[in-house]
Amino acid sequence: MDFYFGLIQIIGVHTLLGLSAYVILLTGQLSIAQAAFYAIGAYVSAMLTVLWGWHIVPALFAGAAMGAFFATLVGFPALRVRGLMLVIATLAFGEGVRLFFFNFDYQIQKGNVKVGPLGPEGFRQIRYFPENGWTTFDVMLFVWVFVILVMALIWWVDRSRYGAVLRAVGDDELAAQSVGINLTAVKVSAMTVGGGIAGLAGCLYAHYTTHIEHLGFGVLQSVFAVAYPIIGGMASVFGTLFAVIFVQGILVEGLRFLGDWRNLLFGALIIVAMVVRPTGFLDALMLKRFARWFALGRERA
Amino acid sequence: MSKIALAVAAAFAATLGMQGGALAQEKTIKLAGFGVKSGVLRLFGLNSEAALKAAVEEVNKAGGVKLGDGSKAKFELADYLDDRCNAEEGISVVRRIAGSDALIAIGPTCSNVAEPLYGILQKKVDDKGDTGLQFPILTDVAIKGGLAKISEWSFRNVPSEFTMYSSLFYWLKTKHPNLTTVYGGVEEDFAHSRASWYAVMKDRSAANGYKVLGESKWLLNDTNFSTQVREMKKANADIVAIAAHPFTTCGVLKEMQRQGVKPKLLVGLTSTSSMETLAGCAKHAQGLIIPTSFAPVTKESKHAAEATAKKKGAADLHSMAAWENVFILKEAIERAKISGNKDAASLQTDRRKLRDALAATKTTKGLLGISKRTEDREADKPYVFVHAKGNDWVVLHNPL
Amino acid sequence: MLDFVQALIDGILYGTTYALIGIGFTLVFGVMHKINMAYASASIGAAYVALVVGGLVAGASAWLVFGLSFLLGGLFGLLVYLICFHLIPLGNENATLMSTIGMLLLVDELIAHATQGMPQNYPSTAFGEEMVRMGELSVRGDLIFVFAVSVVAMGALLALLYRTRMGLATRAVAQQPVAAQLCGIQVVKVNALTFVITGLLGGIAGALVCSAVGTLSILITGPLTVKGLIVTVIGGLGSVPGAIVAGLLVGGLENVVLYLRGVTERDLYVMLLMFAFLVFRPNGIFARGAGRD
Repeated sequence: MDFYFGLIQIIGVHTLLGLSAYVILLTGQLSIAQAAFYAIGAYVSAMLTVLWGWHIVPALFAGAAMGAFFATLVGFPALRVRGLMLVIATLAFGEGVRLFFFNFDYQIQKGNVKVGPLGPEGFRQIRYFPENGWTTFDVMLFVWVFVILVMALIWWVDRSRYGAVLRAVGDDELAAQSVGINLTAVKVSAMTVGGGIAGLAGCLYAHYTTHIEHLGFGVLQSVFAVAYPIIGGMASVFGTLFAVIFVQGILVEGLRFLGDWRNLLFGALIIVAMVVRPTGFLDALMLKRFARWFALGRERA
Repeated sequence: MSKIALAVAAAFAATLGMQGGALAQEKTIKLAGFGVKSGVLRLFGLNSEAALKAAVEEVNKAGGVKLGDGSKAKFELADYLDDRCNAEEGISVVRRIAGSDALIAIGPTCSNVAEPLYGILQKKVDDKGDTGLQFPILTDVAIKGGLAKISEWSFRNVPSEFTMYSSLFYWLKTKHPNLTTVYGGVEEDFAHSRASWYAVMKDRSAANGYKVLGESKWLLNDTNFSTQVREMKKANADIVAIAAHPFTTCGVLKEMQRQGVKPKLLVGLTSTSSMETLAGCAKHAQGLIIPTSFAPVTKESKHAAEATAKKKGAADLHSMAAWENVFILKEAIERAKISGNKDAASLQTDRRKLRDALAATKTTKGLLGISKRTEDREADKPYVFVHAKGNDWVVLHNPL
Repeated sequence: MLDFVQALIDGILYGTTYALIGIGFTLVFGVMHKINMAYASASIGAAYVALVVGGLVAGASAWLVFGLSFLLGGLFGLLVYLICFHLIPLGNENATLMSTIGMLLLVDELIAHATQGMPQNYPSTAFGEEMVRMGELSVRGDLIFVFAVSVVAMGALLALLYRTRMGLATRAVAQQPVAAQLCGIQVVKVNALTFVITGLLGGIAGALVCSAVGTLSILITGPLTVKGLIVTVIGGLGSVPGAIVAGLLVGGLENVVLYLRGVTERDLYVMLLMFAFLVFRPNGIFARGAGRD
């Protein structure tokens, strides 16, 4: 059972990572810097719990806040570039942050060991969960409380005016500007929210892996963050969730029985997913069908 | 019609019952291997898997392992799982193995998987407040120094680079007393190679009377070494020691040839003494001296290499550690008097007994001789020095 | 001072490999307004298959392998187009981004399976072992050759784009796809041809990069893809001469920062400088001329 709880934890954290990219993608900005905010959240919260003995919940919010703060710093210069150039700019920022942690040393003597991040060796012994008696099941619930909160928040936002504004900017910036929408405020706020969610995910990642290092926060991680909403579809947060379940549940774990073929099928099935459904699993049309199906069901009952 | 059907069904059920009875008498002990089978490190996983299969087959052919109740059980090797050198996946894989009826897991390949993995294990065995995973792991490949002490459930059978390079530099000093200077090359962003230069090669060469003139640095997937090799050329040291993996080692060696840098001796990183280096740059690696915990110099090591080759794997210090692990486990299991029952309670008791037996092991029988086990669950393995000659790694000096 | 100049020259020369890969990336973007993330991967794949076939046929002499890589690159380019681009609607950029990323992962893993992850020794031309000496400075012969190839490729591409009917059609599709279709130009054919041409170039680029590095390994594809994207953006999207200049610039900058600040800070400064460059000059060195909407 531990294995399933662990897998659900991974799906939860990756869903948060995907949602951080989703929110930004709604405004038409493709950001490959999510792993940077993920890293910032991870290191900050881990330092708080390991070096200064904070409780996990305030450390988590601190990590999320730092992620959001740095995302705002990226959000403003990002306004000047769009399309592929934004992709490169965010990639550059992301790599910059990773290289910062590659060089970052901050160790404190605790008892007879030194704890804290040590540059390329990473940050080990982030053992808040096992040391405080949390079981795999407890951690899973903890992760999913936040996943459900964030999903509910984004779902609610999507149904509100702010959601419509985000999508308007994503669909056509010129039209949005001409109805009086403040592009700067919308784009930067989306970046900030995305950075905060990624920082939150990073804290959870650091604590359930117990060891973080710069290599885990590279371009590939950012690419996956943005892959989830693209594969899942931009119509609803559930699309991202389905994409994470598809990638982590099916491609990574489910296909293990295929042995060696799994690695090859990983890339191949991503190609197939995109060719078969270029607008993602859950695009606007699919969402309407689902909604009608649910409504019909309710009517019959 | 139905009477015949009933009779057939009854006969079938009877045979099933008989089979069930026969099966119930033969116990198996399950071992699970895991590591990397995708990407650039694929070779490591393939070789370890082959070595495990060969070793398990050999143990079973000789009768298997003796259980606590005196009966014999065969080793069963679960499918080798691929963790793709990814921390989350490695943890997931071990949780999956722990949820099966395996007694112990052998792996991982990557040090950056081993560290988080040991981190999720219970730190001290009888700490009730620690909810870490209680499952033993015996590592064959991940070689970054000082990891096994992270948890009392983690054990490693990897060589001590500190001991080997200490001995190597001492031997080089006595054999070539006219050579006095050392210059290093190091892969900075990979924890293992970085530690191997600063904490091991640099330290140990200085301790043996060499003057260390400095080091050139690069990153794991760098491809342009012109500036670094120019620094090396300027230093003009007698010995150049390269703490890097095959890809960048080959790149640096090729650049050295281009710029005409010819040190008197070349020393390399432990893991570079493999087929990869020879496949990439055999010509340029000629004479590269590396200490290793495996070379086919004894009867046992030759036999292990042959058996692994039959399973389509190559024998090197990494895969042969996996082979040794199977025999270490056989011996520990027999000492621990394992029950071999598959119900949850017995399984957990067996795992604990195996862990305790491993912790109490003082020496193990390695392929080159007796390996000592240390207090913090690492190994002190016998070694030889090899150098690249032709298309092979040939023994240069055998201190055994 | 001399060391500094040497580091600069070494870097600029190595930048020729970035330039060569950047040309392919920028051309695809210029015509289709989409990024082919699998470009570097397919190029290295072509180089690998060429190595294997060349080895079987005639002992893997450098020129044979390069020639084979050239041809195979074109074939692989067409395959990438058919699998990752053809079936996806033209307007959808994100889907092709993902499909080409999937292709990158697939090609890398195929090479890993075939080589068992081991680096493969790659043949180099006679230039490769030579160092040309200019006074106190020395210069890598094989990289000069790579630079010559980039210039020739640029010349050939510009001739193709500006002196042939096909080139005219390509430019028309790049500027106004709908109007081009209305004039009877088959957009599908033009796009496929673009991929074949960039594929041919990619095959040569892959072989030359592996030859310059000395070994073929999938460790090359990731960083090469990132460099290719950086060069595309700095040079100006769609500008072939821009890609060459940007490649040399990035190469030179990289090595100078390495010389001044060391390898651990090298990439950090390069990334930050790039980020700043994008903020102050978002259209690249050679921005696309007027006539775009």
